[in-house]
Amino acid sequence: MKKELRVIGKPVPKHDAGIRVTGKAVYGHDIVLPGMLHGAILRTEHPAAEFTIDVSQARKLPGVVCVITADDVDVNNIGYKRDHPILKKGEANCTRDEIAAVAADTKAIAQEALKLIKVKYKVRKGVYDPFEALNEKSPQINKFISGKFPNKNIAEVFHYEHGHLEEEKKKSAVTVTRRFSLPRMTHTCMGTSNITASFNKTDGKLLLYSSTQVPFLYQRDMAHALKMNPSDIRVIQPVIGGGFGSKLDMHPFEPICALLSIKTGRPVQILYSREEEFIASPTRQPMIIDLTAGADEKGNFTFREINIIKDNGAYTSWGATTPFVIMQAFSSLYKVRACKFDATAVYTNNVFAGSFRGYGNPQATFALERIIDLLADELKMDKAAIRLLNANEKGEITGQGLHFETCGHKECLETVIEKAKGKRQKHVASGAEPAKVENPRFKNGIGYASMLHVGGGAKIYRSDGCGTTSKIDPYGYCTIITGSNEIGQGSETVLAMIASEELGIELKKIKVINTDTDVKPWDVGVHASRTSFVAGNSLLGAIRILKDKLNKKASELLQTNDPEFEYSDNKIISEKTKTTIALDKVVREMHFSEPNELAIASFFYEPSSKFQDKDFKGNVSGTYAFASQAIEVEVDTYTGNVKVLDIYVAQDVGKVLNPLLLAGQIEGGILQGVGYALTEELLMHEGKILNPNFHNYKILTASDIPNIHFYPIETNDKQGPYGAKGVGEAPLIPTAAAISNAVCDALGVEFLELPMTPERVLKAIHENK
Amino acid sequence: MDFKITSPKNKAGLLKAMQEGKNFRFGAGYTDLLMELKKQEETSFTIINLAQLNDKTFTEINTISGGLRIGSLATAAEIVNDKFITQHFPALQEAAHSLASSQIREVATIGGNLCTASPSGDMACALMALEAQCEILSANGKTRTVPISGFFTGPRKTVLQKKEVLRSVLVPLLEKNRKLHSGFIKVGTRRSMECSVVSLAYHIHLDRNDSIVHAGVAIGASAPTIRFAKTACDLISGNNLKTISQKDKEEFAAKVVSYASPITDIRATAWYRKEVLFNISKSIFE
Repeated sequence: MKKELRVIGKPVPKHDAGIRVTGKAVYGHDIVLPGMLHGAILRTEHPAAEFTIDVSQARKLPGVVCVITADDVDVNNIGYKRDHPILKKGEANCTRDEIAAVAADTKAIAQEALKLIKVKYKVRKGVYDPFEALNEKSPQINKFISGKFPNKNIAEVFHYEHGHLEEEKKKSAVTVTRRFSLPRMTHTCMGTSNITASFNKTDGKLLLYSSTQVPFLYQRDMAHALKMNPSDIRVIQPVIGGGFGSKLDMHPFEPICALLSIKTGRPVQILYSREEEFIASPTRQPMIIDLTAGADEKGNFTFREINIIKDNGAYTSWGATTPFVIMQAFSSLYKVRACKFDATAVYTNNVFAGSFRGYGNPQATFALERIIDLLADELKMDKAAIRLLNANEKGEITGQGLHFETCGHKECLETVIEKAKGKRQKHVASGAEPAKVENPRFKNGIGYASMLHVGGGAKIYRSDGCGTTSKIDPYGYCTIITGSNEIGQGSETVLAMIASEELGIELKKIKVINTDTDVKPWDVGVHASRTSFVAGNSLLGAIRILKDKLNKKASELLQTNDPEFEYSDNKIISEKTKTTIALDKVVREMHFSEPNELAIASFFYEPSSKFQDKDFKGNVSGTYAFASQAIEVEVDTYTGNVKVLDIYVAQDVGKVLNPLLLAGQIEGGILQGVGYALTEELLMHEGKILNPNFHNYKILTASDIPNIHFYPIETNDKQGPYGAKGVGEAPLIPTAAAISNAVCDALGVEFLELPMTPERVLKAIHENK
Repeated sequence: MDFKITSPKNKAGLLKAMQEGKNFRFGAGYTDLLMELKKQEETSFTIINLAQLNDKTFTEINTISGGLRIGSLATAAEIVNDKFITQHFPALQEAAHSLASSQIREVATIGGNLCTASPSGDMACALMALEAQCEILSANGKTRTVPISGFFTGPRKTVLQKKEVLRSVLVPLLEKNRKLHSGFIKVGTRRSMECSVVSLAYHIHLDRNDSIVHAGVAIGASAPTIRFAKTACDLISGNNLKTISQKDKEEFAAKVVSYASPITDIRATAWYRKEVLFNISKSIFE
């Protein structure tokens, strides 16, 4: 192992901070190509209807170059289950449904053309409740499914179990059953969805400027949709204005834009308005969770029995696979002897969800951590104590086969319990206005929650790897060509720091190339908090090979047989002979003297994780992240407003790679979690979205930000780069659960749904009177 | 977004624009109007842009005999930072401060807040409690003054005639250095960038012994227009602020609520609005 780290662990500002804050970053919206047309999409007026469409008037409008409907294209369905037509033919099943698209000289003409498209609707009664959809009498909503499930409106099912459920039920001193209800939350990326497609008719190649998080899977999906060869599609990622999981799926507007370009032979750009972003981009999966959990008389968790109904919407996205993650929380967060898990995704005429930071885990953790409080109440046990008693431990292999080679769960819990304790006592003791104590308007409460999430990638695709090519030029600059991409999470910075640490090259001499599928090696994409872990390890592998080459040449030049060279200050230093040589000189000597070699190396890293078996058992990630939060709230019993006062968060990050970026991830995630807990909900009525704007979809503002106290826990996992684990999703996951527990603590009420809007809180207070 | 715009620099120019204009709208801070314009590719109306108007009766905040004149183009930020308003009309200062965000407060005008006539207008609600007068300038150069209680005629509707513009708001100052209990309560989901779900402005004059000499209470977002809760004000007149009984507090709150006829919309139900209005009305004595 090395001596002291010089770059890793230091608060290095983001690599791309300068271009972002000065407006120099080139987002998809800034791209202008010669001869570019502007695309626009016509969506159905009714979420459940049959329709006929006449585009003849739109085609006649001067400035309109192309109008397409389902009749004009030869394509395959898209989506995780290939149940989603790119353009809908004769039948609309969701308010987002794309029924025609236009390419025109200007945006205004494209919009005008949409108005000239005549659509005759025969409105049907839609099915907006998943339980109603399961009724045999309900119509079949999606006609493109395989039919492998007994009920025609089931899109996907998951079943998992471990332990002896019935035996554990008998051993339980207390059992609690509740139904939890989770809302639609949406990503609200600051950069709206966008794509620019440019098809070259002379060579048949398609160039896409796309904000996808998963360029190589996207290339494959796009090729399948358009019946093309994947290698004829080049995906270039401009600067991405927010992902949070929303760009894991390929959405219909993307192949539509490509089709418009293929038809016209000209570049076409589609940019969403904010309203369109709210209506047509994905959401977090709404779900109803029926959970029964038990504990023995000492408080040890005995069993959990879970049945989840997920509103799949009209089509199936990656969001339908969230039970992969949800079942990990139920099977393995805190030690539990038996678990039986069922999840069913049900088609409705609602909008479909996608993936969203946490991937089902915030929903699962909300239900689980609420029920832990209720079990503690039944047992008359302290809510901190019951958690400590059941906390996960190092070395544990859970019922699902997750192997916790390192585990900071207990330390996370102990930390936040300790930090929050002092605060709470102070609050009670100070009692600023004693007159109010009897019937205080403001009531304080404290809540705890933990989370378990993959921290070393997640093997849900056949490979969870990442490739890297790394080179040093004759001037001593290093270029990292990585398969991973930057979506704001800071991966460019972390990779540059790793190269700087290992090669002794200063940060400004390190370049990261990561935006072009024709250039970069394969990577599965940005998701599952995996980039620092997987791309970091991949880069370390490439640097190892590169250094072997450099070391060989350095030995020759320094006339030493020292195997241990130190890379520092742009030099290679032999510890043994105390001689040094400039790094760039070694590179030049390699290049210009025989056998004439470049300082370049490639490596592909595949995590040690395993693809789970058909029973969903196996060690799915290279390592696991843990976090605990203790949150204190103040509830205004006059208005129902919940003010989050202090959030104490301890997170097992393995190793802090960059404290500045880490704090950014922690604070950003927590605030998204506070929004999930208190304010954010996409409101729907009969399949239509009622609040497609920032006015009524309430994300929190700077003035709502609580005090966030962050305590990183370093468990130094040997799998991770320098011991690091994934951190991106974790801070969001337990926040809503902890806030909910705090509100319930403050008021003595039971909250089983989110968000806890002022009105819902006031109502709960009234019902509790 | 394409529209015609004319920017008068002085009163004469303004009157001319108003006389000549057939179909026009006024723009000052554009915090509402711009949203509307963005939705339209072309507008049928001309915008008379007041932002460049150089006329003190429109732009300045000045003390006058019997009170304060606030030009309709005074921004929320100017009101927030005005020392006289902070001292004598806390309800207005707090209302202006609760408006949207600091960026928007730099451009949003008090005139716009009144003339857009939203039932949830924050400064408008405070001005109702302060029993302000609206000074209206006509295209023919004449002015008329209407009490704010008669200014709003419905949601998004005012007494302003086609060729009239709000020039100033006159806020009466009953007695200088009077003891005050004055404030603005805004209820919403978040702490900024919020449109009131319910609001309450109160401006209560006290004598040396905390007896209530005069009270002004207004409610927002609870009825088709902002309303002055007269019977609630009458009820507490003569009472002592410090010793007012629980029963009187609740009776006062019930009287305030009697002015509310809230709707249920996606932001809140009528039940919630009434319930909260009752609670916050009570809270002004706590």
